[in-house]
Amino acid sequence: MERTRVAVLGTLAEFHRDPIPYDLAALVKLVAQLGPDLLCLEITRDQWQRRDFSDLSPEYRDALLPLAHQTDIVVIPIADEHLPPEPVAAGWRGKMISLFRRWLATVQRTMSSPDAANQGWRHEMANLLYYLIAVVTGGNALEEWQTHREQLIQQVLEVVKRDPGRRVLVVVNLRHCHHIRPALRKQPEVEVVPYSRL
Amino acid sequence: MTKWPSTRLIILSSASLHREAWRALLSGQPAILIVDTVADAFEVVPLLQPDQPTTVLVDVLSPQPDLAQQLRTLAPEAGLLFLIQSYELSEVLVLLRAGATGCISRDASLGDLARAIIAVGRGEIALPPHIAGRALAALARGEPVSDDGLIEPLSEREVEVLRLLAQGMTNKDIAQTLILSVRTIEAHLRNIYGKLGVRSRTEAALWAVEHGYGADE
Repeated sequence: MERTRVAVLGTLAEFHRDPIPYDLAALVKLVAQLGPDLLCLEITRDQWQRRDFSDLSPEYRDALLPLAHQTDIVVIPIADEHLPPEPVAAGWRGKMISLFRRWLATVQRTMSSPDAANQGWRHEMANLLYYLIAVVTGGNALEEWQTHREQLIQQVLEVVKRDPGRRVLVVVNLRHCHHIRPALRKQPEVEVVPYSRL
Repeated sequence: MTKWPSTRLIILSSASLHREAWRALLSGQPAILIVDTVADAFEVVPLLQPDQPTTVLVDVLSPQPDLAQQLRTLAPEAGLLFLIQSYELSEVLVLLRAGATGCISRDASLGDLARAIIAVGRGEIALPPHIAGRALAALARGEPVSDDGLIEPLSEREVEVLRLLAQGMTNKDIAQTLILSVRTIEAHLRNIYGKLGVRSRTEAALWAVEHGYGADE
């Protein structure tokens, strides 16, 4: 069986309108050097077809989509049509969420490169903070994010089945990395590799 | 499986400032390697390398079919991309018949230009969709196209690829439309050439137009 190499790269895509602390050119350079055949992005098919990128993060809107447009990288939208809403809550829950977000923003500000967002304590800390935000939000927040991740994983697997043997880069919010990588590793047709070895 | 090779780019313009402007604009573009800038078609020849995707970007004041013919003779394997003022079908056809591989408007975006450079380097006809199909149809009318039947039946996927090819799409456009990689489209095209008994992309596209694959559904 021909195994498909898949790498998962985390972004800070939640911070929709905040400036990214590192130079987006570094992200462009990284992905251009990797030169994946297929680039799976956390956008909906509808957003992609309408070319409506106004609400996307700067990493997608200003870096990855223009890069894909002018190279051979083929973009694959892998998000469900109904993206889960960002967690919000009233009262003490809301205050906790605000606190965790401030910590996230602090972690974000110290990320000097795409590498820093994808390894080391910042990556782990950001993942933990996202998890805590979902827990504090309560209700169905955890389940909604889990459903969203399952959709992302399912779409990546369909890509692998449809076009086996290609080099696939999945770029999603880093809160999903810890879930997507293990799930993909269980699939015999997928070889999950660090993005630097794609 | 490695990443794709960079497209080697040679910039041809008689004006020194234009050459330097293009070099400055396009250096650092992903997947494009600027080999050199030249003022004359003959200077292109020593810069060519066999089996490397190469594009000559031609920036001249008015379209010159003679120059296209000359370059085609001197650099038969290279893609020739002409900058034009506007997409007039008659102007585009003259250039394509003379040997140009693609044309791009001076009003295009940098991203579109980079994309066209890469496509033309592979020998793909690079034109905007609204004119590509008409240009192919016009070329097909003027060219003898093999009327032989298929050597082997096309698969469903190959028919899809051939339809999009007949509409004048580049490999990247076809790949994005079918949500497949460019490498996979290239593999489908190689199979299609074999089944049609043609030797090139252009022949396959003309065959497809002649046989009704380019018509809208």
